[in-house]
Amino acid sequence: MKDLKHLLYFENLLQEAQNELILQAQSEGKVCVAYVCENTPEPLLNLPGAFSTRLRAPRTGSMEMATYYMTSFLCEYSRALLERAIEGGYNFADCLITPDGCTMMNRAVENMELLKALGKDKEKFFFEYMEIPMKADDNGLNLYVLQCKNHILTPLHEKYGIDISDAAIRQAVAEHNRICELIRAIGEFRKGDKPRITGYEFQVITLATYVAPKYLLIDKLEETLEELKTREPEDKPYRVRVVVAGSEVDDTDFIKLVEDCGAYVCADRFCYGSFPGRNPIELTDDEDALTQVCRQYMYRGQCPRYMNTAKMTGRREYVNELAKEYGADGIIYEQIKFCDPWAYERMMGSHILHDDYGYPVLSIDRPYNIGSTNGQLRTRVQAFVESVEIKKINGGVK
Amino acid sequence: MSNKRIGTKNLGNVYLEGKRYRSRREWRGVVDTLYDYSRWLYNWINMFRIVLVKPRNIKAMFRYRWMANYLAVPMMVDRHTQGLRGEHLRICHAEQDVIIEDVAKLLDKLFRGDRRIGNDEEFSKKVVLVDENEMQSVMMGFPTVVPLSREIASTYIPVLLNQRAAIHYIDVAQEYGLAGDVCPMPEAEAGVSIDDDAPILGCCAVQCNTTCDGSLLSNGVISKRMEFEDGIPVFQLASPLRHTNEDVQEYAAQEIRNAIAFVEEHTGEKWDWDYYFECAKRVNYATKCRLEWLEMSKSPYPQVFGSNLALYTETNYMAISGRLPIFEKTDRKIMKLAEKAYKKKKMAANEYRHRAIVWGVQSHYYMDLLVWMLNCWGIVPLTDMLSMDNTTMIAEEDTPENREQAMYDIAMLTEKMIMRNRTHGGYKVLLDDLWEIVTEFNADMVILWEHMSCKALDGMHGMFEQRARELGINLVWVSHDLFDPRVVSRQGVRDQINTYMRTVMGEEPVDPTLEVLPDEESW
Amino acid sequence: MAKFYPVLKKLSLAGFSFFAVTFAVYYFNLDMKLTAAMEPVLEYFYDKVDRDQHL
Repeated sequence: MKDLKHLLYFENLLQEAQNELILQAQSEGKVCVAYVCENTPEPLLNLPGAFSTRLRAPRTGSMEMATYYMTSFLCEYSRALLERAIEGGYNFADCLITPDGCTMMNRAVENMELLKALGKDKEKFFFEYMEIPMKADDNGLNLYVLQCKNHILTPLHEKYGIDISDAAIRQAVAEHNRICELIRAIGEFRKGDKPRITGYEFQVITLATYVAPKYLLIDKLEETLEELKTREPEDKPYRVRVVVAGSEVDDTDFIKLVEDCGAYVCADRFCYGSFPGRNPIELTDDEDALTQVCRQYMYRGQCPRYMNTAKMTGRREYVNELAKEYGADGIIYEQIKFCDPWAYERMMGSHILHDDYGYPVLSIDRPYNIGSTNGQLRTRVQAFVESVEIKKINGGVK
Repeated sequence: MSNKRIGTKNLGNVYLEGKRYRSRREWRGVVDTLYDYSRWLYNWINMFRIVLVKPRNIKAMFRYRWMANYLAVPMMVDRHTQGLRGEHLRICHAEQDVIIEDVAKLLDKLFRGDRRIGNDEEFSKKVVLVDENEMQSVMMGFPTVVPLSREIASTYIPVLLNQRAAIHYIDVAQEYGLAGDVCPMPEAEAGVSIDDDAPILGCCAVQCNTTCDGSLLSNGVISKRMEFEDGIPVFQLASPLRHTNEDVQEYAAQEIRNAIAFVEEHTGEKWDWDYYFECAKRVNYATKCRLEWLEMSKSPYPQVFGSNLALYTETNYMAISGRLPIFEKTDRKIMKLAEKAYKKKKMAANEYRHRAIVWGVQSHYYMDLLVWMLNCWGIVPLTDMLSMDNTTMIAEEDTPENREQAMYDIAMLTEKMIMRNRTHGGYKVLLDDLWEIVTEFNADMVILWEHMSCKALDGMHGMFEQRARELGINLVWVSHDLFDPRVVSRQGVRDQINTYMRTVMGEEPVDPTLEVLPDEESW
Repeated sequence: MAKFYPVLKKLSLAGFSFFAVTFAVYYFNLDMKLTAAMEPVLEYFYDKVDRDQHL
């Protein structure tokens, strides 16, 4: 297929944590709210006068300093973030808000605070830690709302004078929804036998919406959507279609590797992916916006730390629904190495999706930066693609 | 040969290369040896009386792989009592023997209700299954309900008895694709469930996220089988992680209310306030005793300390939660012995060289390392992280206000479960508090258990080291893998202390026969 | 009183024998030596149990 006009632009936004759009937004006087976990409701970080960036550590190499502070047993994402923070890579942020979601992420941020690795020369800089619910129910919702008030809205208002009114939240949700609608519309082109966008391209674009100020991306996303409507798809672009499900993936090389092996990534169910992170938030007028935002984040969340039975079974059902909707032949369950929650969820998901739902499943753990184990992973994905292909040839038995 | 002197002497000589057992028991002088013998006899009689005389329990012995470990109970007592004399020996026995009796009763009840073994359906209707690392304070108002933990029986206790007890289950879980780097405790529990090696009983279950991410997720593996195959409804009790924050307490209390309502619904029993406040009084008494023992440990003559304190606190604070009067009786007995020994300025070993705070998550397969440290190097384990739990008294008078307060008290106790009290709740409770405790106890050394797959602890590794350097405190890292001695053996654990003591401290051991022990194959 | 002596003697003898035997078992760790020998027997049974092994 012909290259997308803005692909290089989006790719460049992912080269550094501090991308050019962050600089632009800050030069316009906006407050940069950094966060690290999908359980932090994004619209609340994008109130008028503020914008969010979800922290990544692109092109991570050595993590020696972070490994000293947190040992080699903590997940590489948390270590990569700490390493980058120690190097001064996040000094652009005006605050950092994190839920006590997984232990490792929490410890990474605590180390940043103890080492004073962020907020250099920023008097108003603050760290905030939130408790977030572990079950989706009314009690959990009350907690979520209170925590968002105490650890997001109040500090943003008190430190930076951000408007935290209901109207401001609704405005932020509208902007958030515009991005979600664009991503959803772009993602629709992954359906069908001849998709007009590759899984890699889609991930680059989606990822950009997590790390760059949203309002500065809208025009490029709109143009890309228009471009896709007339883009000429390839005749035989892939051998099998897969859903990638699992823990955080912000390394676009991973999806590229999968697709280079002949597996088209038709749906992305992982943190930093579009499901469910780019589902629009529907607001009604009969309830305050904050409660509605929290409720939707809580019920749609696919994080394995949600421990009630409905949530646990719902996670596998969600992957099944995506696989059906996007016509997947198989599922790749991945986890970042040393991630406790996803270690269990990957085991459960990969067995259940295979045994109970009948999908071929590849179960893998991977490093944060795919570069170092490229060969091993490639071999496993290639073998998986071949096995799915053979099953398809033999009458589509899954 | 060992003799009447306090502490071990040449005790290493009784270890046998390649054997599960030692050549003989320790000679402690006539009186103490006879006392130890009487307790050994008492424990065997108790085990026969409660467990081994019942055919159903014998059947269970041949059905459940983890049951074989219980044959090594006397050996566990030997390991924890080594070198102890007089009051210290009696304190240790008071702690250990009551735990042994309690666990024997747990086994008997599990098999009584087990659908495969006793299948007593009426009894099973009153059983509520609880997690291994779950504060049973949520059961303090149910006098007729029987809370039982399958995990305590199948994994937690067996590893204390036999260092290899969990290996089979860890391997089973990994065969199913579970990563090898997660904490082996919940991993083994998941393995027991996968291996179809858990008793099936109870009218419902209450799981809790108390310890860690791994524990929370492992519950998901277990509940899948319980709920969808065994038909046992499960309530997941979510306890907030940032337990020091005021703004999570209402959520925590509501979770307790919901859990109680769930138990009421499934057992048909009603929450009994009289019983609750009776239990609350015992909880407070246990807290008061523990605080007094800790006060003694601040002096040059600590009396209740080390692995025995940790084990006893774990049981009394977490699994008993004031429900059993026998533990209050034991508290009193220990207190009496401790006060007597304290007045006489009694020591638990011949030589005290260093005063240490033991921090981090202890190696489960080598919990008696603390007794070894005392005997081999004269390092006194003044207190440990597991014993530094809740210190505040809960409401114990039955008033309308206190009934409301009780939900917050139970929630607080649940949030401050042993270990999670420190490993969660922000870095202050884990990192900052340690140095305050070091000062308070006048310690010159920190023994830092580094459970290598405990991410909450690992995540503070560098900061521990940095702070110890700044404060000039001897920090000894002791790495291990909690349930899996294949990763770091017991000698590997000891070597870390040996190396530090010889190279950094430049010292020679008090009992050199203990420095290297051939216990690789031992229970 | 004298007629109780044989009974007392027998009881004392039985008590002492019990003590002597159990103390020997205790001191020479014979209980642990016996249970160590039982372990492989139990393992044999555990390996033969029909298990429904799955998640």
